[in-house]
Amino acid sequence: MATEAVRRRPVPRAARAPLAVGALVAAATVYVAVVDPNRPGHYVTCPLLALTGLACPGCGGLRATHDLAHLDLVGAWSMNPLWVVVAPLLVVLWAVWLVRAWRGRPAPRVPAGVAWATLGVLVVFGVLRNVPALVPWLGPVAS
Amino acid sequence: MTQPPGPAPYDPANPGDGSQAPYGAAEPGGSPQHPSGGPGVPAGEPYPAGPYGSPQASGQPPYAGQPGYGGQPYTGQPQSPGPPPYAAGAYPASAYAPPYYPKNSLAVWSLVLGIASFVLSCGFVTGIPAVIVGNAAKRAVAEGQADNEGMATAGIVLGWVAIGLSAVGLLLLLVFFPALFAWVGTIPDQS
Repeated sequence: MATEAVRRRPVPRAARAPLAVGALVAAATVYVAVVDPNRPGHYVTCPLLALTGLACPGCGGLRATHDLAHLDLVGAWSMNPLWVVVAPLLVVLWAVWLVRAWRGRPAPRVPAGVAWATLGVLVVFGVLRNVPALVPWLGPVAS
Repeated sequence: MTQPPGPAPYDPANPGDGSQAPYGAAEPGGSPQHPSGGPGVPAGEPYPAGPYGSPQASGQPPYAGQPGYGGQPYTGQPQSPGPPPYAAGAYPASAYAPPYYPKNSLAVWSLVLGIASFVLSCGFVTGIPAVIVGNAAKRAVAEGQADNEGMATAGIVLGWVAIGLSAVGLLLLLVFFPALFAWVGTIPDQS
């Protein structure tokens, strides 16, 4: 009875977008969790890393996601600390978006200042993690 | 605005009334106050209520609040209080209100995501959201809730360029690496 009632309740039209995004990200996360990016041959090597050896701000993101999916916080932090900080925020933001959309309210609006701050953090992080002295803290370190 | 259409339907109505001869006589002379009566007369009400009921029927606040319309003769004094209602109507108060664009942050996010897709070396992760958010920002501009269309365009273009470059790079890698592996003859083993 309960399941039938839940099944009969229609999904709000506005909630389809966050649900689709969530399904996509969840599927990708499951794939990354199952297929280990630490082993070569499964994923395309980042062209920037292959050509220059530089680590972009997202370097180690797949490995960090793999570690996060396996609840290995230390391993994820050693791969990409910024992603460990940002990923939960994105999940929370997505949850707020889903709840608001389900209730027929507009999507949450993040202020423009946060956007500029994000860009600044991204650039600074990308520069600092290529400084040799800071690589043990910010760069992707194979544990 | 009300002056040109006012006298046109006003002329054939006045001879029919007969009692409103003073208005018809002063019609060629003073034009400002006649459009006020203009909308009332062709509205089709009976003529006893014409001079007094017309401001109410026309629904125009400046004339309804004009005290001297009914009481004062048309000797020219109504012309001097006449222009202020026009001036007040010509400059709405909203013209002085500061513009408010609550969705300007969308275009900023589109631009930031577009730039980030070049800072990050994978253009899909932030390039696709940059295009989506940029299109939402353009929609907000079209709805008058944002005014930074150029920034939205920049975000969309950057997003598409990043997506295109990433697609080209992915194709090259997917074609180039198998060819390289086949040439080497060994596939890297999974230690």
